[in-house]
Amino acid sequence: MRIIFERTGGIMGLKSRLTINLDELPVDQSRNLSRLVDEANFFTLPKDSSGRPAPDSFQYTITVETDTTSHTVHTSDITAAEELRPLLQELSQRARSQRGSKA
Amino acid sequence: MHAHHSILCITPPHMLQEIVRNGSPTQRDIALQTLITSEQIRGQRRVMKSMAAFMATAVPSGNKERAIYDVKNGTQLPGTLVRGEGDPASSDPAVNEAYDGSGVTYDLFFDIYGRNSINNNGLKLESNVHYQKGYDNAFWDGKQMVYGDGDEDLPVAERLFNRFTISLDIIAHELTHGVTQYEANLAYWDQAGALNESMSDVYGSLVKQYQRKQTASEADWIIGEGLFTSNVNGVGIRTMKAPGTAYNDPVLGKDPQPAHMKDYVRTVEDNGGVHINSGVPNHAFYVTALELGGNAWEKAGRIWYKTLTDKLQERSTFQQACDLTYEAAGELYGVNSLEQQAVKKGWDAVGITIGGDAPTGCLSTILGIFGMKAPAEN
Repeated sequence: MRIIFERTGGIMGLKSRLTINLDELPVDQSRNLSRLVDEANFFTLPKDSSGRPAPDSFQYTITVETDTTSHTVHTSDITAAEELRPLLQELSQRARSQRGSKA
Repeated sequence: MHAHHSILCITPPHMLQEIVRNGSPTQRDIALQTLITSEQIRGQRRVMKSMAAFMATAVPSGNKERAIYDVKNGTQLPGTLVRGEGDPASSDPAVNEAYDGSGVTYDLFFDIYGRNSINNNGLKLESNVHYQKGYDNAFWDGKQMVYGDGDEDLPVAERLFNRFTISLDIIAHELTHGVTQYEANLAYWDQAGALNESMSDVYGSLVKQYQRKQTASEADWIIGEGLFTSNVNGVGIRTMKAPGTAYNDPVLGKDPQPAHMKDYVRTVEDNGGVHINSGVPNHAFYVTALELGGNAWEKAGRIWYKTLTDKLQERSTFQQACDLTYEAAGELYGVNSLEQQAVKKGWDAVGITIGGDAPTGCLSTILGIFGMKAPAEN
């Protein structure tokens, strides 16, 4: 499984991007991410729930690819589905701690 | 008092009454004192009585009402109420910063422009602190302000951002998004979005200047001073004085703001670069304010306020903002007044001419969606 995470907007208007190949992660981390994707019901989430942009909020684009399928979701701080938020938080956290290194 | 008094002595009473009605608390006190004193000299004490009645009824008393909520690292808005209006200070600095910062912002809008809160009708100012964990941002969600704690969850050596309530101008920036929503309601994309952003930076900076009692030339015009940790090579997230120079950092990159239309950034990201191209109107305001001298919130701030509340519309462009601030300055201070000339100089400095046809940047956004590059629009 591969996850591509992109964050734009925010009060600085900066973009950050992160690609994660779950195969390359330690097993516990990879398992945790798979669980968050499952718990988000990711493949059933609407493609675009970004709504009318709210000033300074972040916009997110998340793509999850497996061997058989791929799904992309556009969302924002204001409109993200509750079940997606734990995954969003985990990906944001990873993107922040890898700032500066080219993902 | 005497220095003020001598100036106010030559002011006609109807103007003093106007100051009593619309001035800042300090201006009101001075004006009222002057009115009373001059009436005493004339032996017409009964006027004092009527003035007291006037003060009780006719002076608008703003109803500043603040509420600070703790989101406790979650995302449910609003969080738990932790400080209401008039409540004693908290032991949590983020709570107090949000409380005090929204208070000073209310004061600038009320004292100087006579505006009673975000909707000009006493709307409660609601702020949420400790949003999420490691949330390096602040936003206005259409109803309330939301602040993250920056990089509090990372090791100190990796932290770039402090908590977002740390900068007064960030708080005022967010609150001004609310004012804009109730007034011009500028769309949050392309040039209208960059104007929306710029209004928030303008009043963000003016609130800081008002609190510090700084003139246009004394002010630093930095947005988000104190927001970066010492790990970042930068003074803040933007600068209205010299857009494009706020930071230049190995991790964050370089401040991408243009200070002139020739460097306008055509992009589809960030809603068409609303936080990038705001550098152009930001700098026009700065040049205007510097040209006028004195306190920027008085004249430049008033011209922009009139433009925001009476003239700009949802899809306004930079060219329209230029023409309409010029028009507003003419209405407030007279056609060909120094104030109107200062507005012209401000926009000239960023490459936009009164009555001209500056590119709108909209075509490039449409083309950008299809992965194409726009030709030079002029």
